[in-house]
Amino acid sequence: MFELQSLWDVIVLIALVIAVAPFFGAYLGRVYMDRPAFGDVILLRIETVIYRLLGTSPRRSMRAKEYLFALLIVNLGVFAFLYVFFVFQSVLPLDATGAPNMSWTLAFHSAASFTTNTDFTHFTNESQMSLGSLMIAWPLALFCSAATGLSVAAAMFRGFTRKDGTLGNFYVDMVRTTTRILLPLSVLFAVVLVLMGVPETLTNVVVAHPLTGGTQELIFGPVASYTSMSLLGTNGGGFYSANAASPLANPSAVSNLFEVFVMMLIPFSTPFAFAAVVRKRNEAWPYMGTILIVFAVALGLFIAYQAATNPSLIDVSSLGAQTNGYPVGQETRFSLPEASLFQVVSVYSNVGANNMMIGALSPVAQLVLLFGMFTQSTPGGEGTGFATLLLFAVLGIFVGGLMVGRTPEYLGKKISTGQVRWSALALLIHPASILIPFVIAVTGGFVTVDSGGIASSAHTFTAVLYEFTSESANNGSALSSNYINDATPFFNLAGAAVMLVGRFVPIAAMLMVGGKFAEQDVLPPGPGTLRTASATFTIYITLFLVIVSVLLFLPVIALGPLAQIVGGG
Amino acid sequence: MSAPVPTSPTPVRTATAGPPTPAAPSPSAPSHSTAGHVRATVVFLVLMIVVAGFVYPLVVTEIAEAIDPGAANGSLLYHNGTVVGSELVAQNLSAPWLFWERPSLTDYNLTLGAPTPYGYSEPALQSLLNETIAYMKEYGNFTVNGTLPFWWVAPSASSIDPDVVPDAVLIQIPRVANATNLSIPFLQSFVNAHTVNPVVPYVGVPYVNVLELDLALLPLEGR
Repeated sequence: MFELQSLWDVIVLIALVIAVAPFFGAYLGRVYMDRPAFGDVILLRIETVIYRLLGTSPRRSMRAKEYLFALLIVNLGVFAFLYVFFVFQSVLPLDATGAPNMSWTLAFHSAASFTTNTDFTHFTNESQMSLGSLMIAWPLALFCSAATGLSVAAAMFRGFTRKDGTLGNFYVDMVRTTTRILLPLSVLFAVVLVLMGVPETLTNVVVAHPLTGGTQELIFGPVASYTSMSLLGTNGGGFYSANAASPLANPSAVSNLFEVFVMMLIPFSTPFAFAAVVRKRNEAWPYMGTILIVFAVALGLFIAYQAATNPSLIDVSSLGAQTNGYPVGQETRFSLPEASLFQVVSVYSNVGANNMMIGALSPVAQLVLLFGMFTQSTPGGEGTGFATLLLFAVLGIFVGGLMVGRTPEYLGKKISTGQVRWSALALLIHPASILIPFVIAVTGGFVTVDSGGIASSAHTFTAVLYEFTSESANNGSALSSNYINDATPFFNLAGAAVMLVGRFVPIAAMLMVGGKFAEQDVLPPGPGTLRTASATFTIYITLFLVIVSVLLFLPVIALGPLAQIVGGG
Repeated sequence: MSAPVPTSPTPVRTATAGPPTPAAPSPSAPSHSTAGHVRATVVFLVLMIVVAGFVYPLVVTEIAEAIDPGAANGSLLYHNGTVVGSELVAQNLSAPWLFWERPSLTDYNLTLGAPTPYGYSEPALQSLLNETIAYMKEYGNFTVNGTLPFWWVAPSASSIDPDVVPDAVLIQIPRVANATNLSIPFLQSFVNAHTVNPVVPYVGVPYVNVLELDLALLPLEGR
């Protein structure tokens, strides 16, 4: 049973985000075009001091390769800091819970996971992560990976506006992203979360004495500040391993809606940031159209299949009727549409947080989530999600231009083989980095099932597929550890490789495509120019995106989720 | 953005006051050397570790302790001066004179983290639900022969879900009345008074926080 009225807050929230996005996107555009913006009086002075310490200047604009080099060494630094911290966490400060040092493969996976904005975890936070790792090491990656994604997007956007071959200064972009966007908003949102009941304390463990005797260890920490930045930066890691399903990280239906807003804000505003940077206001809406169509279909399917009664439970006697959705692996305080909205937004924005158990969902709902990670761009992760959609558009315009005999150009820039080659590489590396390790894992005997786990083959296939898809898309949501044991050296190392490839190869492609555009003169629009600010373009790009994604992944979907749906098992 | 025309080898600089306008990158600015990149990276990372790992959480903690210390410290609940738990964390309340929580796959042990889920069509899920229902019926002393609310017997996502649907509390009333000297009509109004209804319709669902309910019940039972 499902009441239609319960959809209203979900619809209002989505409408609110769509209403706010043009304004927030315009602000993002101001930040990245160095136009006067709110807070300049103080922030410009601080930033000038920081640039001096860094030995750089906004006037030093970088070409694509230099930008990529700077990006890689900064991210290497983040990775190294995290790796060393995790390997030595038991001797470093703030380890009240007695978390042991991580093994090198687990630390390698974890450091790669956080650096790449994935935040896929192969450990249990509460027993295997010290407070120091959670409060000092991981947040460095929460900030830097989010700032990296936005900087890449900004650099790529600038390619459409420049002729001197440069894309901007990476360090300046990182600093301005932090001072203008991430830091002020994360502080504000963290305080709101506290007011909604999320803990924020330096006391790590409180021993409680339950009413029926015994003791209960309550684990706290700076949960609000961690959760705020994790969601705002589309990281998605949880302070608790139950993530946003834990009542301590997401105490009420209101906090759930607020966290959805925090997750949606930047990804849904990025198309408008693009329009602001290229100074063509109408170019954002066609992409918003694509994003919203795919997202709305996904959310609708997800709610419909979670509202449906689970047919395999009809034999359970004395079980009450199913209301407010399917309750297994769900939390009481959320309505079905609210819980579903969080989960679909989280996976489609490549946040990867969960407020339910993904492994307990109906197979169709799992397939819906998988599809979001296949496209990675509706709206996708911080910065890189929309940049991926732009790569789809570059390919789509090229293919479409050839089909109808129009000049393949976009925003006055000609699309040449260089751009097409890099775009195709970025889009093909995603299925490759999922399917190759998938085949190795399944055929190489690396899939071991936890004791008590179920080795049903379609389930196991789906679990392995979900694992590598989540890692390649830098998503971080996890199906479960019941079907496969992923805390093995193989899954640690293969997963780390998949995440690094899935992150930095597309980033290189985005910068190279932007760099090639930045070297070209702007052509005046002619009779052969494809009009991209139109509904036709939305329909075309949507179909292009869906068809390409389905074709790339259909065979492997057939082995896992489709087999579960068709076979009912 | 037009390219400057280099007419004179010594361009005349006009004195312009005010904030710099870096929109037009000067082509004369040199690119960074490798050493320059390393320096920028190291300084940037040190700054970010200080900001993200120390300044940010400490500032938010200070603000949190000032504006809402109760929530900031984990919404702890007390009984006779000792911490009995958190409003946000379920615990084992399976005593006859108390209302019960949802079952937990980790026995309400927060340190065990997130439980492993049961798949949609797994036979193990059916067995788990059958076992839970049998347990509830045997030890719950339910006078009803009907069904148990699905939302009550199903495992939650966090394993520490502190809330249950009102129906699940109402069917426990006969047992609690039996174990205490409280009457059924009184308990019904007591549970209704502790049911949290959405402030705005359909934002969230009605639920009962069981630990709070039981804590309010203890003095009435003389415990």
